[in-house]
Amino acid sequence: MPLDTSSYSLALLRLDGRRWNELRRIHAVISSQPAADGSSYLEMGNTKVICTVTGPSEQKRTGPQQPTGPTASARIDVEVSVAGFSSVDRKKRSRTDKRTAEMQHILVSALSDIVHTHLYPHSTILISLHVLSLDGGLLAALINASTLALVDAGIPMSDYLVACTTGSTVNNASSRAVPARQTIPGIRSMANEVDDPLLDLNGLEEQDLPFVTVATVGSEKGRVAVCFSETRMMAERLEEMLAVGVDGCQMIRKVLDASVKAHGRRMLDDT
Amino acid sequence: MTSLKRTQPTGSDSTNLSSKVYVRTTRAGKVQKIVREVYLRQDIPCSSALCSECSKISTTYARGRAQPPVLAAKPLTSETFSTGHYLVPDTNAVLTGMDLFELESAFKDVIILQTVLEEVKNRSLPLYHRLVALTKNEDKRCYVFFNEFRMETYVVRQTGESINDRNDRAVRRAVQWYKEHLELSVKKKACPAIVMISNDNDCRKKAIAEGLVGLSLSKYVSGLEDADTLLDMVNEGREREDAKTTQENFYPEYYSLSKMTTGVKAGTMHQGTFGVSPFNYLEGTVRVPAFERPLIILGRENSNRAVSGDVAVVEVLPKEQWKTPSSKIVEEETLTKNDNPEAEDGETVISNKERKALQEDVKKAHGTTTEGKPQPTARIVGIIKRNWRQYVGHVDKDSVRTSDKLSRAAQTVFVIPMDKRIPKIRVRTRQAGELLGKRVLITIDSWDRDSRYPVGHFVRSLGELESKGAETEALLLEYDVQYRPFAKSVLDCLPEEGHDWKVPADTSDPGWRDRRDLRDLLVCSIDPPGCVDIDDALHATQLPNGNFAVGVHIADVSNFVKPDTAMDREASMRGTTVYLVDKRIDMLPMLLGTDLCSLKPFVERYAFSVLWELTPEADIVSVDFNKSVIRSRYAFSYEQAQLRIDDASQTDDLTQGMRILLQLSRTLRAKRMAAGALNLASPEVRIETESETSDPIDVKTKQALATNSLVEEFMLLANISVARRVQTAFPQTALLRRHAAPPAANFATLTHQLRVKRGLTLDVSSSKALADSLDTCVSSDSPFFNTLIRILATRCMTAAEYFAAGTLAPAQYRHYGLASEIYTHFTSPIRRYADLAVHRQLAAAIDYAPLAPSLQSRSRLEGVCRNINVRHRNAQFAGRASVEYYVGQALKGRDLIEEGHVMRVFENGVVVFVPRFGIEGLIRLRDMGTPEPVGEFDGEEYVLNVTGSREVRLELFDEVKVRITDEVEESTGKRKVKLGLA
Ligand SMILES: [Zn+2]
Repeated sequence: MPLDTSSYSLALLRLDGRRWNELRRIHAVISSQPAADGSSYLEMGNTKVICTVTGPSEQKRTGPQQPTGPTASARIDVEVSVAGFSSVDRKKRSRTDKRTAEMQHILVSALSDIVHTHLYPHSTILISLHVLSLDGGLLAALINASTLALVDAGIPMSDYLVACTTGSTVNNASSRAVPARQTIPGIRSMANEVDDPLLDLNGLEEQDLPFVTVATVGSEKGRVAVCFSETRMMAERLEEMLAVGVDGCQMIRKVLDASVKAHGRRMLDDT
Repeated sequence: MTSLKRTQPTGSDSTNLSSKVYVRTTRAGKVQKIVREVYLRQDIPCSSALCSECSKISTTYARGRAQPPVLAAKPLTSETFSTGHYLVPDTNAVLTGMDLFELESAFKDVIILQTVLEEVKNRSLPLYHRLVALTKNEDKRCYVFFNEFRMETYVVRQTGESINDRNDRAVRRAVQWYKEHLELSVKKKACPAIVMISNDNDCRKKAIAEGLVGLSLSKYVSGLEDADTLLDMVNEGREREDAKTTQENFYPEYYSLSKMTTGVKAGTMHQGTFGVSPFNYLEGTVRVPAFERPLIILGRENSNRAVSGDVAVVEVLPKEQWKTPSSKIVEEETLTKNDNPEAEDGETVISNKERKALQEDVKKAHGTTTEGKPQPTARIVGIIKRNWRQYVGHVDKDSVRTSDKLSRAAQTVFVIPMDKRIPKIRVRTRQAGELLGKRVLITIDSWDRDSRYPVGHFVRSLGELESKGAETEALLLEYDVQYRPFAKSVLDCLPEEGHDWKVPADTSDPGWRDRRDLRDLLVCSIDPPGCVDIDDALHATQLPNGNFAVGVHIADVSNFVKPDTAMDREASMRGTTVYLVDKRIDMLPMLLGTDLCSLKPFVERYAFSVLWELTPEADIVSVDFNKSVIRSRYAFSYEQAQLRIDDASQTDDLTQGMRILLQLSRTLRAKRMAAGALNLASPEVRIETESETSDPIDVKTKQALATNSLVEEFMLLANISVARRVQTAFPQTALLRRHAAPPAANFATLTHQLRVKRGLTLDVSSSKALADSLDTCVSSDSPFFNTLIRILATRCMTAAEYFAAGTLAPAQYRHYGLASEIYTHFTSPIRRYADLAVHRQLAAAIDYAPLAPSLQSRSRLEGVCRNINVRHRNAQFAGRASVEYYVGQALKGRDLIEEGHVMRVFENGVVVFVPRFGIEGLIRLRDMGTPEPVGEFDGEEYVLNVTGSREVRLELFDEVKVRITDEVEESTGKRKVKLGLA
């Protein structure tokens, strides 16, 4: 039985040794599959995602719900597939899995806002995401990988869409009431139990703690584009969680920006 | 968030990133490979007040919070360590010496390494929790150093290195780092020594070779001031420094864990909790899913060092060795009286006497036929989890060599636990003389193959045997009741106004938000006489349409106890108020329980009200839940209420309301009974005490009045209504209470007994059928017979339990005993934590207040349920034990003849129940006359024919005249109630 999130209060260190406001290691590669129109490979800790962008390509004329008229702009399709070997228990998630469907929907609506789709009327941009390894922050990794792949594909967008998760160390003492046999007099006052916001949760932390995925567009004065949570949390904690998340997005943005620029330099050097 | 400055750039720099890979086996036997990242860092402080380096680090904590250094600048000194010392215990030292580390006088400035913390958690969860509590105790100056996250102290497991060796190395590396780090940052002469405590010879040798200080626990303790007393607490069993010359092993070796997991999975072995028969210490049972009836574990060799409560793995024995459950009373005290605690050499696992007792038993088994069908027997091949706790007991007088109080010579003695199912425990002590005749608290440390009895150590003495203080404390410890006064942090959560707190007069006060003003209702409470913590109050009026408006008003405790405060945590840990005969151990501080929350008459109080419209047939038309303010008009006792209702001259509205309630409660009860609710009996007695001394003077059986069931019916109705509401609002996390239908096999014995003895049949197919057939179990010659059967039937039931709704399918929510589809506890929030939690859930369900996160997570809620289930059961046991003790006290020096009923028949005695005192006890053959008469036992007919010095035929369910005296037990000097035939 390894330690769990309740040990955070002992030294204000998380399960993997991070402090509350530290991101996991990010490793980003652009044009990971040169054959695709745009592609990226992104690691956030042990969450590993490959993304390829196909298009914009001409829309196939099938289905009755074709948008018509001059305002018709490009449609974004997102396919997420989670590999069976991605998590500890080998388990195939079907494409019709509700959580996957919801994530696809979030990606479509967030990306449709920032991609200049009006430039490509009557066409489709297909984003395929493959999750190779899963250790928390899935939606955030999917968003970040999509952004990089779209940049690689050269599709105009208003700014980077970057995301990360934030959680909150709620206090577990009352519920994990496996009592100490003897109450020891003079116990340090428990009133100031730690309830810190946490940045970029790993898989273990996600299982235990309430968390939100936040995505922002743009730098300092950016706006929040996605705010998504599947856990219950105290309303009063949300504000500080969002604040930490927005700051986290800025950090990620810098990392992604650096890797885009490095890629650009390499391309110039090569030619 | 301006404090978002990062000190350690993580990025893609991989030098400070490592990963942990380990393999874990799940409960289902699946092997999983877990990969985890570890971020190594250099900003984890050493936390010594002497260190100037690390004081710079504290700025990086969240919200600018600084953690002051934990380890003192001037740590304790001793002869060996003149400049003071910091302690670094290894895992084994913590596991074996926890009692020592908790001492107030010694063991300060302790560095708990993360490696150790994790290992302790693996090995023993209770010890882990004690260790965490220790680190929160400011006086102890206990610092948790996360060595696995600090770059310099992180240790990679080498190929071929065992995990234990790797962890030992991690501990030594941390000690070394501390030493070097402090020598650098502190002026050399005042630098405290870093002392590693390890009981592992090898590890200590390596440490010394590396230039470190390593001591064994006993070596360290012997350098302290009161070494003599402290040495007693050093865990004897596990500390084997000078390994004894190899000895003969008495017990078979346990199988390896992997062998057991494979076996359990393949179905060749079974896992279950080991329990010992209260009548025969050599016979235990393990209930496993694969067999309908429990597996019998016979004798010491087969039970193989398992202690009652341990989770064990068993192998079923060949069919020739199957047998019926023992029909004989076998007591450890009489059989093993002469064992010598010191003599390890000539000892065998099974003494000749025990062997004889067992053989007789087996012979018997083969003789029996048909009904007494042999049950499968098994032997224990391994222990999955020890459930050892602290035990209360007394020193066996005969095992003490010198009872000279001044003698400080160490000797080994036996301690006989109060719980008969626990074997006697071998304890080494230097204070045997002083501890004789005292109640003592001990723990078991180990039980090795070469020792016939488990080995343990003293924790402390509770006081003289038989003294009220010691016996009460013993009882509380035995049932793990938290009885210490509330800590200051808990009391700090109380309202500042104290007893002067009032419902705000101004209805615009925030306290009145969303509350209904029900002060005009004629509300009253009905409780046992002298009740001070009034949880509930009621009212009823007739509506113009002929229906009735009925309200149950419950103390609004959740208004005062906010989630996740120190008070909430304490209450959730205590789980329930415990009622002893002369003492109440409150779940909440007195101020709340007996005043601010108590729905006292004539004062305004906050309440949580359930308001129904009921038809005259007591059908619910509508139900409404409201936070409210009420003013009770009167606090009745059951008797007063009954008198008032019966008094025809009283025609005021309050009395009319009570009559309506009584009328409706009868209808409700009839409906419940028709649905198959069980009326189960448990003997309840009341102790009459002299008010001044609270010494018991008499025992009376409790009387039930119609007003008792009036209150009960409405509480049940409220609980059911609330259960429905919270279940709808929180299908996953609603806290509910269920009572599973007992498997028919539980009733097999009772059914057989009734058929053979009385020609009665017990239909156990449903609760309704059972209730009906219980009604037919009457005997013309004994009015008590029916109650007796109900008592026995109750013992065949499963226990009701709290659970989180999402953990079970709705079909399993059912409360068997109450014949209700759904049930919870809502009506006693002052004295039960479950009710308090349900109050919060209901408040959230009606959108009064948001739900605390601890009640939203199913896994957390399951933790809460587990705890309150245990607490609830223990509270009942403690209450019963307290009554038993007082009955014993009340009978002191008496010699009475009372009516008794035979509950169980053994080969060498009977168990008799005495309704007047609610006691049951053994009458053995040897208690019936001298010389011991001969018993002829018929297991088919449940008859014991006694001939010889006493001639009597004892049959099951028969009424017998019992002589009740008290005797002083020879071996212990303890007073016991003794039953004999009149
Ligand atoms: Zn330092």
